[in-house]
Amino acid sequence: MTTRFVTGLALFASFLMAPARSYPQTPTLTPFDKLPDWSGTWAMTGGTVFDRATQTGKGGTIDPGVREHPPYNAVYEKKYAEHLKLRDADRYPDVQTNCGVPSGFPRILNLPDAYEFVVRPDVFYIIAENGGNTMRVYTDGRKLPGKEDTWGTYTGVSVGHWEGDTLVWQTVGLKGDRDNDSILDRTGLVLSDEAKITTRLRKIDAQTLEAQMAIEDPKALTKTWNVTKQFKKGKPGLFLYDYGCAENNRNPVDPATGQTHTLGSDGKLIK
Amino acid sequence: MKSAFTVLFAALAVAAGIQTALAHHSSAGFSEGTKVVAGTVKEFQFRNPHSWIQINVTDESGKVTEWSVEWGSPNQLGRDGIRPSTFPAGTQITIKLRPDLSGHPIGIFVGAKMSDGKIVGKWSDE
Repeated sequence: MTTRFVTGLALFASFLMAPARSYPQTPTLTPFDKLPDWSGTWAMTGGTVFDRATQTGKGGTIDPGVREHPPYNAVYEKKYAEHLKLRDADRYPDVQTNCGVPSGFPRILNLPDAYEFVVRPDVFYIIAENGGNTMRVYTDGRKLPGKEDTWGTYTGVSVGHWEGDTLVWQTVGLKGDRDNDSILDRTGLVLSDEAKITTRLRKIDAQTLEAQMAIEDPKALTKTWNVTKQFKKGKPGLFLYDYGCAENNRNPVDPATGQTHTLGSDGKLIK
Repeated sequence: MKSAFTVLFAALAVAAGIQTALAHHSSAGFSEGTKVVAGTVKEFQFRNPHSWIQINVTDESGKVTEWSVEWGSPNQLGRDGIRPSTFPAGTQITIKLRPDLSGHPIGIFVGAKMSDGKIVGKWSDE
């Protein structure tokens, strides 16, 4: 009896002395057989204008006159207008032209080429063929880190959960336009480092995934900005490839002027 | 059969041609109109982030100018039936492109007509 009491006391003491774990102490994992089937490959529908619902002007993101109308405050509307002016003058190169930075979020849901959406009980992965971009959404019950524990990254930090067959996640910790190297599309749309995005991703029919994003940004927006993107399922057996942007980049950018140059096949400057 | 193949190939490549809008730069430096150049394929660079067709064009005086014609990424074009062998070096082709406004021998690919009449991309103005 005494031995059992001492053993129990020792176990209780070790429990009390155990260091706090960052991993969730009560995992709320949804088992594989309860998760939706999002296998295969997918491709975003439409072009890369991020918010086509508010687009004015004809064409795509690089065409003069095309713009979107997010609920920007005056400061960010002015900033966007400056980007558009530069775009129209061919002086607003895509920040990815240096082939070195990720697309980030939410732009990772606004890319050409193919996607894979990998569903696991503990984590959800977005794998974009374009740029070789990856995003992780943790679904293991952990909480979002506090502001002091994020420092601004291209894709931020995302934590989600399942509501039936809908994955709902929140993203914080985005760097936004802090370093002028993270955009939403080539018109020059940006968010600030205070953006918080709630995304709901679900299959609306056998061939279509839909992402509804509610974007809040007290520094840049006057109200919530709602944007929807859709993805169509690819043909069975489609191969995905790597995308080495630096492989043969013949459009280097002059950082001083923003001018995009063109190199010849011999690597020498044409213009 | 040949014409059916041509139409299919052209349709696929038209879809691929849309991807020219994915160039790293604004389209402000390129004409909205098109220009046709004929020459010999020097090289088809089927590489990321964009493919380039290099063709040597000889003018009436015998001067040879190398044109650089930008197109989509191999991943995009490959799914639409384009291959590194689509434009073999030494082949005679006629290319329709959106020329650089500054006059440099650069353009954005619109379409190509092969010596056997096969069309790649968009050739008609419809």
